[in-house]
Amino acid sequence: MEFFSNVAKIMAKYWKVFLVKGVGYTLILTTITVFFGAILGVFICLARMSKSKVLNAISLNLTEIIRGTPMLLQLYVFYFGLPRLFPSIPTFVSVLIGFTINSACYVSEVFRSGIQAVDKGQTEAARSLGLNGRQTMMKIVLPQAIKNILPALGNEFITITKDTSLASTFFVGEVMTSYLIVKGNTFLTMECLFIVAVIYYVMTVILNRLVGRMERRLRTSD
Amino acid sequence: MIKTVDLHKSFIIEGQAEPLHVLKGVSEHIKKGEVVSIIGPSGGGKSTFLRCLNMLEIPEKGHIYFEGVDITAEDVDINLHRQKMGMVFQHFNVFPHLSVAENITLAPVLTKKRTQAEADELAKELLQRVGLYDKWSEHPGRLSGGQKQRLAIVRALAMEPDVMLFDEPTSALDPEMVGEVLDVIKGLVKSGMTSVIVTHEMGFCREVSDRVLFMDGGIIAEEGTPEEVFNHPQNPRTAEFLSKVLY
Repeated sequence: MEFFSNVAKIMAKYWKVFLVKGVGYTLILTTITVFFGAILGVFICLARMSKSKVLNAISLNLTEIIRGTPMLLQLYVFYFGLPRLFPSIPTFVSVLIGFTINSACYVSEVFRSGIQAVDKGQTEAARSLGLNGRQTMMKIVLPQAIKNILPALGNEFITITKDTSLASTFFVGEVMTSYLIVKGNTFLTMECLFIVAVIYYVMTVILNRLVGRMERRLRTSD
Repeated sequence: MIKTVDLHKSFIIEGQAEPLHVLKGVSEHIKKGEVVSIIGPSGGGKSTFLRCLNMLEIPEKGHIYFEGVDITAEDVDINLHRQKMGMVFQHFNVFPHLSVAENITLAPVLTKKRTQAEADELAKELLQRVGLYDKWSEHPGRLSGGQKQRLAIVRALAMEPDVMLFDEPTSALDPEMVGEVLDVIKGLVKSGMTSVIVTHEMGFCREVSDRVLFMDGGIIAEEGTPEEVFNHPQNPRTAEFLSKVLY
């Protein structure tokens, strides 16, 4: 019981650190990452599917390197590497860029598999009617691929929400950083971990519901 | 109308050293107004030949002349020529995210052949002709196989093609739906549409064709009127094939 009364006491005193600053930073970090990650992901995906061998090789290698190395390592590289190029860059931005590039690579694969999952017969039918490649992509393939892509993109959002905890290594202020701050002040490790776990859990459950609702809506529009 | 000269096509099959040589020099001349059926065993090159005619498969050797233009030439805008060649697929390939009406009007409007209003008018007329007008705003997911294929035929017709290519149009249908699709094709053929039909429906083939091609082993092994091919096959392979299929 002492455990929960400690939890209550911590929340009474530090709720702003957890819920305002922590959750705020996590959501900002996640949203910006997914947004720019998706945009950058489109370009990586286009490069991957283009006929140009050079673009192909660049996007393939980038994707493989990012997917083949730990995210924490990549964040370290951006955290130490970017200030060498741009000395005045804030830590938050360096970490954000790291997340964005990482996410873009995963998202580009989501796009690619979503597009490739559209039946080849759809493309053939469109081309046989005399539509050009671009019209076929925009009017026939992409509208169908979106249904495969959006739910997967929602899951990426959930994954990133949890992965942003890695940013606490650089003390950027998201939920896991608030754990470090409050634990440092109170020395109540388990209680603080419990609070943080509940916060992450609630965030991902809510996101999960939203993704589920979106999936259902996409299915009924068939 | 369509003339092919010495078409060759191979497919590279993963895990096999030798590419599969599907077409081994096919030369054929399909005339305006003619109805040509292609029959033969699976793997004989029927569908590949048909799909070469609108360059969905690109032959590695040979030429295809459509209305006098060599459409295998590098500098040809194939899209313009495809607009004049309708194609109907075995698996319908209707667009599931568009309504029945949009399926039909999309291509004429996008290719600037018609305005939306004109395309709607034509779609209405065509849908009435095949008995699907009441499905106007439905999505294809709610249609039966036979209805989907009729929609696919109408979609191709909306581009007002000079020739129609049918790639086994009834092979994926439940038996009780074959008739309704064949009836639509029959009506079309009787109206004088130049048609090339790959089919396993021998009775239908006999009834509608001006000329029958029997393809086997990547070549046209025999050709002639339905009477000649079905009743007096010259090639033993044709005779053997026909003796195996029921019609």
